[in-house]
Amino acid sequence: MAILRPAGEFDTSYASDMATIRRPWQWCLLLVFLLALFTLPFYASQGLVALVNRIGITIIAVQGLSLLTGFTGQISLGQAAFMTAGGYVSALLVNELGWPFLLALPAAAIAAGLVGLIFGLPSLRVKGFYLVMATLAAQFIIPWFTRNAFQDVLNGAQGLNVQVPVIFGVEFNTPQRYIFLTLTVLVLTTILAFNVTRSRLGRAFISIRDNDLAAELLGVNLFKYKLQAFFLASMYAGLAGSLAAHQLRHINSETFTLIDSIIFMGMLVIGGLGSNLGPIFGAIVVEFLIEAATLLGPFVAMIFPAKSAGVVQALRPLFFGTSLMLFLIFEPRGLAYRWQLFKAAWRLRPFSH
Amino acid sequence: MRRHLVGTIALLMVASMVLGACGPKAPPDFTGRTITLYHFGDLSGPYAAITAPLVHGAEDAVAAVNAAGGIYGATLEIQFADTAGSIDEAVAAYDRFTGADDNILFMITYGSGEVEALAARFAEDKIVNITAGLSARGFYIDSGYTFGLGPIYPDQFGLVMQYLHDNWDTMKPEDAGDEIKLAYISWPTAFGQGALTSETRAFLEDLDIEVVVEEVYDLSPAADTTTAILNAQAAGANVIWTNTLAFGVSVILNDLNALGLRDQFVVATDNWGMDLATYAYMADPSYGVGLISAFPYLWWTDTENAGVQYAEGLFAANERPAGEHNVGYLLLVAGVDMAVQAITHAIDTVGWDNLNGEAVADALIDLSPFEALDGVLRPDYSGGSRSPHVSQIRMIQGGPDAFNILMDWTETPDLRPVE
Repeated sequence: MAILRPAGEFDTSYASDMATIRRPWQWCLLLVFLLALFTLPFYASQGLVALVNRIGITIIAVQGLSLLTGFTGQISLGQAAFMTAGGYVSALLVNELGWPFLLALPAAAIAAGLVGLIFGLPSLRVKGFYLVMATLAAQFIIPWFTRNAFQDVLNGAQGLNVQVPVIFGVEFNTPQRYIFLTLTVLVLTTILAFNVTRSRLGRAFISIRDNDLAAELLGVNLFKYKLQAFFLASMYAGLAGSLAAHQLRHINSETFTLIDSIIFMGMLVIGGLGSNLGPIFGAIVVEFLIEAATLLGPFVAMIFPAKSAGVVQALRPLFFGTSLMLFLIFEPRGLAYRWQLFKAAWRLRPFSH
Repeated sequence: MRRHLVGTIALLMVASMVLGACGPKAPPDFTGRTITLYHFGDLSGPYAAITAPLVHGAEDAVAAVNAAGGIYGATLEIQFADTAGSIDEAVAAYDRFTGADDNILFMITYGSGEVEALAARFAEDKIVNITAGLSARGFYIDSGYTFGLGPIYPDQFGLVMQYLHDNWDTMKPEDAGDEIKLAYISWPTAFGQGALTSETRAFLEDLDIEVVVEEVYDLSPAADTTTAILNAQAAGANVIWTNTLAFGVSVILNDLNALGLRDQFVVATDNWGMDLATYAYMADPSYGVGLISAFPYLWWTDTENAGVQYAEGLFAANERPAGEHNVGYLLLVAGVDMAVQAITHAIDTVGWDNLNGEAVADALIDLSPFEALDGVLRPDYSGGSRSPHVSQIRMIQGGPDAFNILMDWTETPDLRPVE
């Protein structure tokens, strides 16, 4: 997009070329946006705060998938399973070992990352459709493990009640409080994602995505970088899983399902693959669509009383599927690309071309 | 003279005050005020097929209460949220409701998973949760404000196993031995696994009932239980317990018949398993014959009961489709009646201004044991219990609706977990 800048604007240093935010007013806008976000509990309804909280956690999970699929080209349908791993680890560390949440959260991320490494191993030998199958295995094996292994600790299918995070004596037991945790982690993961993708690591990821054979010939260690991508993606999932488990106060093998993994992939497509803004746009749009379907459900049931169950049941898949299809047809590069075009048009006004 | 007159008037005034106090008290009038019942269930997820009748039962019952004058004139209102059978959505609905109303008296829920996940929140926010999701953990672990419409699943399971143990000679399949060997074949969910707890395992051990196999199958009407059944047969099981509902029971009965093994097993289930909806998924209605279940409420066929007649009247008046003439509708008409009784009692005890979830919870305990909808339900929350401890056992002995009583109202074993 740099080529769409107005004539006469040049980057004069490497730092300015790599900068994510270039102008003081952009910093101001970002700060105002963050301020609005962090003060949300003071002016928004609890329902909206809870929704934003949920969107925040989803964005973290999709950011991980973006690094793996969007930037490295490794398609995964196991992101929700890695959330399960993170959620369980965090719950056990806090519940059983009495770890403080602030320690359990990164530990859950690392543990999920390690689990992700195991399922990432096939990525060296297989790709595309076959890799999807390999990651899909995670979505069956991990829930099976939580249901059947160590039942006296993991409590089988019934799962675990998870303690509310307590930090410096403050209980994060309401959406208005919990959102501060979610937003803080989200800001950190966003900064990390932006930095990873513009670093040597990110360039290696992109080279693997664009042409793994050429990348290998250029000296990129495919095994190492693919596994790093899996580790990072699963780490993000672990963070999201931990946050979600403590927010829900419960986790079981059904909490994060294959459907969630598919929806995450859809969010990425709608938001834009290969862009750090993609997960944010995608998660927001899809979560709002799901929320709209949820709120519309009872009204639709009233309109079609005889077929209410079937009609309402169809609403969510209908909203999600239709939007995904429309994006694939009309804007396969997602909302992030559309946003870039909009920004470019604004910069170049009144000359839109 | 004047002194006598003053004395007489004073005496008359005191007498009239005393008599006034002893006479019937005018009921309070809260016309213009509203009491909201919050109600959430799965309209778009795996349990959607059975949720619509529950929703309609609640709506019709609330409309009928309002038509009859509400609660001391106050209008009853119901708000519903779809949870899609997901804990995530249930928590979101809870947050939405509690954000909009800071004095919620009642919430009505169905899913065991959501009951477990929300139990601590109900207790913290002092909101009574009347639920049909009867997993023990939701009632007794980090809980306190969850009240069951029926006995918890471990109690139901215990009751049926006790019955089979006591009547094995007459109940056992033809070639079965003298020992009950149990196969627990169920969904891999909080609901599906809700009956098999450490307390029920100990109880079964006391009854010399051996759990020879534990199998799970998909939460889907198209699930295949063939392998699970064959494993049960190989392990020597002669009783199958499935803690599922409608299509969960049907797939087992379908597969048992397809395998030609129906006569080798007694099939038993929780209260949700014996329902009109079960027939919707059965390949042949005759497959249902012999199914046993705990049955902690009356049924539509108990037409002599005034509560059932009332529910039948509502069903007909609202022109509900025949497919909804099932447990969900009846249960929620009774559930609303239970809520109305509790709220009325709470108002009588603490007054309108102090009416809150805590007062309603106290009212439920104070009223116990009582009858909801003229005995359709028999709630009892006395003695620290948060679910009733009585149930019938019924058996399908004919086509749909022939849910005949095998054992009348009996006290269930108390298999609640240690808090």
